[in-house]
Amino acid sequence: MRKSFDRSIDAVADVYDFTESVLEAANIAKEHRFPVHLAMEELFVNMVNYYPDNDNSIQLDVEAENGKVSVTMSDFDVDPFDVTQSRNIDIEAPLDERKPGGLGLHLIQKMVDNLQYDWENRRSTIRFTKGEG
Amino acid sequence: MFDIDFGANGDVLCSGRLDAAQCEKAQLFMDGISGASVLDFDGLEYISSAGLGILLKTQKRLSENGAALKIINVNNHIHDVFHFSGFEIEAKSG
Repeated sequence: MRKSFDRSIDAVADVYDFTESVLEAANIAKEHRFPVHLAMEELFVNMVNYYPDNDNSIQLDVEAENGKVSVTMSDFDVDPFDVTQSRNIDIEAPLDERKPGGLGLHLIQKMVDNLQYDWENRRSTIRFTKGEG
Repeated sequence: MFDIDFGANGDVLCSGRLDAAQCEKAQLFMDGISGASVLDFDGLEYISSAGLGILLKTQKRLSENGAALKIINVNNHIHDVFHFSGFEIEAKSG
């Protein structure tokens, strides 16, 4: 199912509702829903924060069947930013010395499957899956 | 939906979903904490890196005075987020 969302942090709740409705309809296991929602929020918020003045909405495609979720997120008229690259997060550092930047993408790389990035004609496309199938 | 408030025992009770859109609310509350505090996540279903950032910022501020956050009653998903982030402010048992 495809839907486009306003480029706003306030749209995060709408993204969750849309995604949850697709996952619920397909009876996706609860254990897979959390990482899917987490990845979608982190990626969506990144898109909003990097291009707050971009007039294009952010397009989401969420498919779920046979226990597996496939997500495609598309951002238009943007520079390349490969979310599959290592973020160099030092999770061993004391909390007092830690900086939150990059943590979201680090989490995604740990928690979803088959994370892919493509950039063509100034369109960023991020794909990932979660679950069996 | 996200809620944060003091419980009867003085612990900070968090519930709902702490996503990026709820961070301002959470940050405002946490900015009012000045000493060692227990955060009870029994009702918290979800947290993203934006929420982790608030915990990190609060922990840093409290540690300057020798205080710390302790987080209890963390669900398995949030525990995974803490684990992959290297956060060590979660109590070992609820």
